[in-house]
Amino acid sequence: MRINLTDDILLNVQKPAKYTGNEWNMVRKNPGDVDVRFAFCFPDDYEIGMSHLGMKILYHILNRREDTYCERVFAPWVDMEEKLRENNIPLYSLETYTPVSEFDMVGFTLQYEMSYTNILSMLDLGGIPVFAKDRKDNMPFVLAGGPCAVNPEPLADFVDFFVIGEAEEAINEIIDEYKAWKNSGESREEFLARVAKIEGVYVPAFYDVDYNEDGTVKSIRPNRDGVPAKIKRRIIRDLNEADFPDDVIVPYVGTVHDRIMLEIFRGCIRGCRFCQAGFIYRPLRERDHEKLLKLAKQSIEKTGYEEISLVSLSTSDYSRLPELCNALIEYTEGEKVNLSLPSLRLDNFSMQLMEKASKVRKSGLTFAPEAGTQRLRDVINKNITEEDLFNAVKMAVSGGWNSVKLYFMMGLPTETMEDVEAIGELGIRLIESCRDLPGGKSLNITISTSCFVPKPFTPFQWEPMDDMETLMEKQFRLKDRVRKNRRITYNYHDARVSMLEAVFARGDRRIGQALYKAWRKGCKFDGWAEFFDFDKWMEAFEECGLDPKFYANRRRSFDEILPWDHINIGVTKRFLQKECEKAYRGEVTQNCAENCSFCGAQGYKTGICLGEQRSDRNNG
Amino acid sequence: MSSGVIGTMAKVLRFRFSRGPELKYLSHLDVLRVFERALRRSQLPVGYTRGFNPRMRLVFGLPMSTGLTSDAEYADIVLEREISCEDFVSILNENMPVGIKIHEAAELIGQENIMNLIKAALYSITFETDRRESEIACMISDLLSQNELMAMKKTKKGFRPENIRPLIYRLGLANKGNNTFELSALVSAGAEKNLRADLLMEALSRKYEFRPNILSIHRKALYTEDAGGWKDPIEVTDGKRCPD
Repeated sequence: MRINLTDDILLNVQKPAKYTGNEWNMVRKNPGDVDVRFAFCFPDDYEIGMSHLGMKILYHILNRREDTYCERVFAPWVDMEEKLRENNIPLYSLETYTPVSEFDMVGFTLQYEMSYTNILSMLDLGGIPVFAKDRKDNMPFVLAGGPCAVNPEPLADFVDFFVIGEAEEAINEIIDEYKAWKNSGESREEFLARVAKIEGVYVPAFYDVDYNEDGTVKSIRPNRDGVPAKIKRRIIRDLNEADFPDDVIVPYVGTVHDRIMLEIFRGCIRGCRFCQAGFIYRPLRERDHEKLLKLAKQSIEKTGYEEISLVSLSTSDYSRLPELCNALIEYTEGEKVNLSLPSLRLDNFSMQLMEKASKVRKSGLTFAPEAGTQRLRDVINKNITEEDLFNAVKMAVSGGWNSVKLYFMMGLPTETMEDVEAIGELGIRLIESCRDLPGGKSLNITISTSCFVPKPFTPFQWEPMDDMETLMEKQFRLKDRVRKNRRITYNYHDARVSMLEAVFARGDRRIGQALYKAWRKGCKFDGWAEFFDFDKWMEAFEECGLDPKFYANRRRSFDEILPWDHINIGVTKRFLQKECEKAYRGEVTQNCAENCSFCGAQGYKTGICLGEQRSDRNNG
Repeated sequence: MSSGVIGTMAKVLRFRFSRGPELKYLSHLDVLRVFERALRRSQLPVGYTRGFNPRMRLVFGLPMSTGLTSDAEYADIVLEREISCEDFVSILNENMPVGIKIHEAAELIGQENIMNLIKAALYSITFETDRRESEIACMISDLLSQNELMAMKKTKKGFRPENIRPLIYRLGLANKGNNTFELSALVSAGAEKNLRADLLMEALSRKYEFRPNILSIHRKALYTEDAGGWKDPIEVTDGKRCPD
């Protein structure tokens, strides 16, 4: 069935081109010619989803297969959802306008906990039962992956199976298994039994969770033979061998990251203790710089984009950054393409680089000290010193920048009011220190604080999150501290959103019920301030007899069984505990380039763990 | 063109393109981006403005509102190397998404740029109504005999009443059957006095209290004024039109 959309609908919603597809490089196939139809769903607006690199990679990999057609589906914005419901039009794919329920597989990427209600909306709008147990034999399989899938439990009732880790290889194995199953005449459950054997695949229905009287998890055990007790995260061993798209879709409407994204490496050597990405993507694996240059050229030719950006967790940690950047600058200049270099550490080299790369206006520069005092920065293993920061800001001001953004986290473990006030003092002292520099008098500083949310698979996974009252008090204190300084602007996150994020980040299977209830009450796009409805969420938890504080604000003991203990991320629980204890003592840990800390990721036997890349760096 | 001096090797082409239903939901800004990216892909020798933020030297005749399809949109572009009109049209078309097509081009010789040139537009507006053909015909002839048709024009601050009757040059009606009619409207267009087809229909509906269900608005032609008559913007370039 092909959905028909009339002007009556499309001319009465904002940015209708988000709903009509037909973009440059969109893959066109005849659905009748393929064995497997895959709907790749992004549970947020088109403008966010089309900025997501993972989707572009998997779209490319799936569509390289002649037997498969991967199409895109995004969460319709509220005006469009209303129109769809009013006219009884099911959610459809942008490539062929096919209702989501007609696909063989419906895959969601989990980038942010606060988009979970949108998953239920999309299933429902697509005509698929939201609960996995209600899906019949002829219905699609719903799968999910992405960073939030490292703790899949809050979505266990809704998703048929999860892919833990990088899916480039696993997705092909899943498609092969699907084809074999389709011809076998086996039941739906038997398909799940087949994929449960693929490394990295987790079928929640095949595991039972028991709870202690105090509400903590007693055990997580397979309830049938042939499924692993622990699910091991998949990774791509060699990024140079991995398929990477150079013919990405070029959207018509402006998106958040409307540019070519060139992924230079995966993983991070730093090990900041609050940062989930720093642990769940280990080990660091680089893409060869010559390969990257080739990819950049091909991408520019095939898309016509006017901007290209390097993508990684920390650009400065790329071992061949000078070679790569010099070659890229030379090429992009000739092509009148802008090169953007995010997440650089500020030093002489990077200043020169930015000077060369961007001839555009020098508007803003961002640093993330994360904490206001050296003591607390040591606790979180963020190896930036105050001296680094002062030098960097002075360098920026001398280089012509007059606006600097500073990112901090509030509510970090061991944080005191002194640490909070130190954030404001740091801002004030930075302004002072630049006063006598040329152009220093026009320096403005924006301080932004987010609320620290403890995440699974980090050294702080056992930590209580500050309760909302404490966070608000801290925000108020900092606001008061910088109020008199007109050159400092202070922004802070809504503590209530962060609290819910914390609940879902470390939630167990039971909170799926609260998610369902909140969605039924009308919660959607919870990450968007204009739609976030805290009271509805609290009602939902209460009706389920669940206490959000149990999940967000409780200190777990090191020997507690955590809801995600059956997931093997590669980094060991023992290492994380050691890191947590070091944090309490204010001891820092060397990064992967300096020394191996035997976190467990060396078990993957690739990337920086092999030691070769480490010695390359230290010599070079 | 307005900014910068055209080098000796440079030349300016004026071209006509159409926008089909596939891309009718794009905003004017989106269309601009489509052209810029298609031109980059095509590697045609497009001229850029100088300065901090170089922009392609590409000017459109008239913005297209969201929802509109068209047979006749015009743009002027500066090219820095010699390239034939035929090659320009075919190379750019290879790089255009389905829905936008370049039909013809001609070298622009010593002419004002397209933006200031457009003076009129011919629209074909298809609508459904339960009124009889004779009633609608009466309505149109009545309107044409009057000196005033008030419309609520959208401004930055809200709505302002404006007499749009002087902007209407010619109206014609065709019965398409099944209660469907096609109104062809030649109206003032361009940078100075521009009448949008949807505003015309809104004003008509208000004055004659009829509720047409608009099915499509299509731009059939854009004109410039030359020696007292409406002229095709390509015709006035003095360049050779191609493909013929």
